[in-house]
Amino acid sequence: MEPDIVATEVIRAGLVAAAEEASFVVVKASHSTFIQEGADACAALLDLEGRLVAQSTATSLLHSASLRCTVPHLLARFPVESLSPGDVLASNDTYGGGIHANDILVVTPVFAEGRPVFFAGTVIHVADVGGAAAGGLASVATDIFQEGLQLPPVKLYEAGRPVDFVWEILGANSRLPDKVLGDVRALVAGASTLATRVGELCDKWGAETVTVVADRWLDYAERRVRQELTALPDGEWTGSFEIDTDGVTDRTYVVTVHASITGDRCTLDFSGTAAQAAGAINSSYSQSLSGAIFAFRCFIDPTIPMNEGSLRPLTVVFPEGSIVNPRRPAACGGRVVTVTAIIEATIGALAGARPELEVGASGLVHVFTLSGVERPWLALLYEFGGLGARTDGDGPDATGAYFFGGRSVVPQIEPIEASLPVRYESIRLIEGSGGAGRHRGGAGVEHVIEVLEPTVASVRGDRMTIPPAGRGGGEPGLGGSFAVRRADGRLEPLRTKQSGIALSAGDALVVRTSGGGGYGATGADR
Amino acid sequence: MSTILGVDVGGTFTDVVLRRPGVVPVTAKVLTTPADPVEGIVRGISSVLDRAGLEPGAVTELVHGTTLATNAVLQGTTAPVLLVTTAGFADLFVLGRSARVEDERFDLRHGDHRGGLGPVAIAEVVERIGANGEVVIALDAGPSAAAVAAAADHCGSSSIAVCLLHSWANPSHERRLGAELRAARPDLHVSLSTEVWPELREHDRASTTFLTAALAPSMSAYLDGLAAALADIGITAPLWVMDSAGGLIPPHVAAARPVLTVESGGSAGVRAVAELAGELGLPEAIAFDMGGTTAKVGVVIDGQVTITHDFQLGGKGSFGVPRAGTGLPIKGPVVDLCEISAGGGSAAWVDAAGSLHVGPRSAGAVPGPAAYGRGGTAPTVTDANVVLGVLAEGELSDQVTIDAGLARDAIDREVAGPLSLDTASAARAIRAIAIAKMAAAIGMMTVQRGIDPRRLPLVATGGAGAMHAAELAEQFGITTVVVPALAGVASALGLTSAPPSSEHVRSLPLSASEEHLPIALRIIADLTEAGSAALPVDDLVVSRSIDMRLRGQAHSIRVDLGPSSVEIDLPTVLERFADSYRNTYGVAPVGAAEFLTYRVRVATPARRFPAVHRDVPADRPRSTLRTMGTGEEAIVWSWESLPADFELVGPALVEGGDTTVHIPAQWTAAVTAAGHIVLRHATPA
Repeated sequence: MEPDIVATEVIRAGLVAAAEEASFVVVKASHSTFIQEGADACAALLDLEGRLVAQSTATSLLHSASLRCTVPHLLARFPVESLSPGDVLASNDTYGGGIHANDILVVTPVFAEGRPVFFAGTVIHVADVGGAAAGGLASVATDIFQEGLQLPPVKLYEAGRPVDFVWEILGANSRLPDKVLGDVRALVAGASTLATRVGELCDKWGAETVTVVADRWLDYAERRVRQELTALPDGEWTGSFEIDTDGVTDRTYVVTVHASITGDRCTLDFSGTAAQAAGAINSSYSQSLSGAIFAFRCFIDPTIPMNEGSLRPLTVVFPEGSIVNPRRPAACGGRVVTVTAIIEATIGALAGARPELEVGASGLVHVFTLSGVERPWLALLYEFGGLGARTDGDGPDATGAYFFGGRSVVPQIEPIEASLPVRYESIRLIEGSGGAGRHRGGAGVEHVIEVLEPTVASVRGDRMTIPPAGRGGGEPGLGGSFAVRRADGRLEPLRTKQSGIALSAGDALVVRTSGGGGYGATGADR
Repeated sequence: MSTILGVDVGGTFTDVVLRRPGVVPVTAKVLTTPADPVEGIVRGISSVLDRAGLEPGAVTELVHGTTLATNAVLQGTTAPVLLVTTAGFADLFVLGRSARVEDERFDLRHGDHRGGLGPVAIAEVVERIGANGEVVIALDAGPSAAAVAAAADHCGSSSIAVCLLHSWANPSHERRLGAELRAARPDLHVSLSTEVWPELREHDRASTTFLTAALAPSMSAYLDGLAAALADIGITAPLWVMDSAGGLIPPHVAAARPVLTVESGGSAGVRAVAELAGELGLPEAIAFDMGGTTAKVGVVIDGQVTITHDFQLGGKGSFGVPRAGTGLPIKGPVVDLCEISAGGGSAAWVDAAGSLHVGPRSAGAVPGPAAYGRGGTAPTVTDANVVLGVLAEGELSDQVTIDAGLARDAIDREVAGPLSLDTASAARAIRAIAIAKMAAAIGMMTVQRGIDPRRLPLVATGGAGAMHAAELAEQFGITTVVVPALAGVASALGLTSAPPSSEHVRSLPLSASEEHLPIALRIIADLTEAGSAALPVDDLVVSRSIDMRLRGQAHSIRVDLGPSSVEIDLPTVLERFADSYRNTYGVAPVGAAEFLTYRVRVATPARRFPAVHRDVPADRPRSTLRTMGTGEEAIVWSWESLPADFELVGPALVEGGDTTVHIPAQWTAAVTAAGHIVLRHATPA
C-alpha cells in the first residue's frame, strides 16, 4: 500500500517511540549506575541491509554508529535467511563494528508476515568481562586480549531458547557474573521490546508500508542535512587536538582533521592523524565514526532524525593503522580519550563555517575504579572537568565533555557509602581552574575518597599534562591529576592512566579534573 | 449536612465548587487574581454561596488546590535560603546533576540546568556520620549553630535548610543543630532534611529541603491570610490543602512542608477522574486532559491516583516525563503525570524538506488559533477540528467566535498547499499527528509502566480532550471513553472527594532475607504509627510499600505490600517484587534482592458523593445535522437536552459544557443520570 501522509507520520512517530522505549527498558533493568543515571544505553532499528532507520535520542550518543557497523558482521556469520523469530545475536568485537570488550551489542530480527523485515539492536557498557582490570579499566593494556573476553558473533538465544553455553562463557569470564549477566539480560529485554513494537506496527499497517515509510524517512533526513549544508559557507578548515599519552609510552598523539564543505556535502578527512598507539587509547572505526557524526551534528539542526540518510551527505576518512582506525589487535578500552579528541578537532575545524560556535577545549571525564582485594566489589566512578568557554559566555563547571549527558552520571555519595567500603572526605570545585579569558572556562572538581579496606584502584584521564587549550586568545584551564594520599599523609602522584594501584585501609584516592579553556583575550570587553 | 467547598486556583481561572450530598454541585469560574489569589477565591465563594442560597456558616469544610509553590519557584519569589552541609561538601548541591538531554547535547553553548537555581548561600558545619549511622566526626552543636546563624545574617537569609550526610541513617546531628538554632534564633525559619523527607541520596534530599525552606515562609503567610479572609466572610470551617498525590493535608503541614503541594492542581485533576471512575464502578482509568497548549496523562489504579517519588521541578525530557538531572528533584509523593506540548493551540507546520509537524510551537491563548480571528495565522489542531466539522462555526464563548474560513485559509496556506493535499486531508493529518503524540504519552504512562491500557477506560477532560479521546482510544484498542459532566471544573470537583492523607518514609538498605524481613516490618509498623498520629481517625486506609532492587542496581522499584491487616511473608514479598520487576523491565529478576526504602501512606476513605440526577428539560433532545469535513453526515446533539440513558450512535457530536464530544463511526454512547457521557467502541462480537 502506498503510505499516505497520516500513515507516514504515525509510523515514523511509532518507530521513534519504540526505539526510545527500548533504550529505557535497558537503562532501567541494567545493573550499572553509569547506565542508569546517565541513561547510557542505545537502541536502534536497522533495515535488512543494516542501515540505521531510527535510534533512541533521549539516551546515549556514544554508540551512534556501532550498531550499524556491527550488523553486517553479524549477518556475515548468521545470514539473514538462516534466522528464526526469537533468535538473539551478540558480539563485542572491536574490529567487527564494536567499540571495546565491555560494550556488548545485541541484535534480534523483527519478523512480520513470516519474514525478517528489520533488526532491533541495543548496546551498553556491561559491568565486567574480565581482562587485566576490573570494570574494563585496563588503562595500560597493549592489546585487546588484556581488555576482556572477546566475543565474535554468537547467538544468545536460538528461536527463543537461551544458548546456555554462551551465557556460561560470559559468566565464567567476569569478576561480577551476576551483574554482567543482568546487564546482558537488560540488553535482550530492550531489543525484544523494540522488535515487539515494530512488529505491532507491521501487523497494523503492513510490513511493506512500514518499510516504504522507513526508506523515505532516510531520504527525508538526507534532504534536511543537504539543505543545512547548502546554507553553510563552502570552505576548507583544519582542526587538531593533542592527547597527553597512551599510558604506556611517553609520547603524545595528535588527531588531525581536514574538514570541507562543498555545496551540500561535507568531508571530514582524518589523514595525518597519529599512527595507532601502543596503549589503549585507540578508537575503533565505529567509535571514531560516532565521534565525527556527533561533532558534525553540532553544526546542523539537531532535530533532524538520526538515521542512515542523515549520514549520506557526509564523507569520513579514517586512515587505517591510525589511532582513529587501528588494526587488530590494538587495545581500544581507553578510546574515550581519542574519540573526544576527534570531537574537539572537528568542532575546531567546522567552527570555521560557524565562528559563533567556537569554544575553548574542555576537561575530559575522569574514570576511576575501586575494587575489593579480600572480597569482590567494584565501584566504577566518574567526575567531569570544566567545559570550555564560549564566544558568548563562561563554560559551565564540571560537566565536560561534549556528547556525554552531563553530571547526572556522577553517583550520589550516600548510596555508594551504603553499599561499598569507601568514605568521601570532600568534593570541591577547584577555584581558579577554569582558563582565564574574556569568558572563563568551567572549573574542575576534586574528590578525596578514603577506602576502608584493602582496595585496588585504576585511573584513566587525559588533558592533564596538556591542559585544555583556550580559543581566540583565552588561556588554557588548569590541568588535573590523580594521586594517592597514604594514611600517614604522604601524597603519591599517579600517572594519567594507571591500573593496579594498591590502597590500604585509611589511604585515599585524590582525583582532580581539569578546568576548561578560556575564550578571548583577558581584559577585552566582556 | 456536610457542605464542602472545593477551590482550585489555576493560572487563568479560579474554579469553585460547592458540594452537598444529593444536590447538583454549584460551580463558579472567576478570573484568578495573581497579585493576591485570595481576592478571586472570596469572589468565587461568594458567588456559589449566593446561588446555592447558603450562609457562609453552613460550609463544613473547605479544600484548596494551589499553585503557589510552583509559581513562587518559577517567578523567583522564594525566601533567601542558607543551605547547611557537612564540611567538605559545600559545592555539591550547586554542582548539581546538570544533565544535558536530547537535542541539548548538540548545543555547544548550552548552559547549566541546576533547575534554574541562581547563586545559593551555603555554610558548612564540621561533623560526619557514616552510612551505618555511626558518628565519624562528632558535632559541636552550640558553636556550629552560632556560626550558621552568623552566616545567615551575613548573607541576608531568613530561612535555613539543613541537610547533613547520612542524616537518613542517624538524624541526631541535624536534630541537635536544629534545636540550637530554633532556640537561639526564633526569627529564622529552619527546615531539617530528616523532618522534611528522610530518604537516602544527599542531593535529592538537599534539594527537597532547600525548596522547603525557600517556600515555607510564603506558604505560611499565604495560608494565614486565606484563613483570615475566610473568617472575615464568616467561614470558619476546617481548611485542607490538596497535596501533590491526590490527598489532603492540614494547613500547618502544608506551611511546614510546602514541597508536598507542587502538583496540587495536577493531582486534583487525576483525583477527579478517580472519583468519577469509582462512581461508574471502574477501579482503573486513564486520565486524559487536553487544553490549549498541553495534554496531560495520569493513571488511576485501584481507585488511587498513581504516584511517583522521582519528581523533577522544572525538569524536561522526551514524551513529557522529566529526566533525572534536568530540574530540582523533589522527593515525596507526586502524581505521576506526563505532560506534552499537544493542545488545541498547537501549531502545524511543514519543514523545508516537506514533513508535517504539530507543536511544540503553540498559538497559545493569544493570538490563538486562526479560526478565532484574533490575529493568529498559524494553523492549529483547533483549526483542523473546525475544518473537519468537529468544532462548530459561530460563537464559542463570550469572547470568541469561530470563523471556519480563517481556519481553512491557514491550513491551505501552511499545510495543504506545500504538501499538495486537499484541505480536509491536511486537517485529518494534523489531527492524526497530534493524536500520535498523545498516544506516545499514554504509552509512556501505561505500556512502559507495565500496565495494559486496553483494560482501562479513557476519561477525557479539558476543553479539547473529548474531541480526540475516541480516536486516541482506538490506537490502543481501548473500548470505553468517559466524558464527565462538569468537565470544565473537574479539578475543583476532585478536591471535594479527596481524602486526608499523610505519607511517611525511611531508608535502610537490607538484604531481602528471612532475617531482615522482621526489621523491615518493624520500620513499617513505626511509620504506620507515625501516620496514625498525624491523622487521628478510626478507619484509616494504610498503604505499605518497600522500594526494592537487585543487589548492585542503582534504581529501585516500589513493591506494594497491601493493607496492614494482612500478614506478609518473605516468599510473598519476593513474588510481588518479581511481578513489579517483570512489569517494569519486561524480564524476570535474577539474583539477590534488597530492601532500600520503606513507605507508608495513610488516608481516610475517599469521600463518596452518590451520583446526583441531573435536571433535564422535558422536551425532546435537541439535534441538528452537520456535514463533516470528511463528507460524512453527523448528528449534533445538545448535551443539556440529553436525558438519562439516552443512546447515541456515531458519527455524532455532543456540544455543551466547555467542550465538544466527538463520537466517531463504530462508536456508540450513553448518557448517565448524572449527565456523564460513556462512549463504547462497537467491537465485533
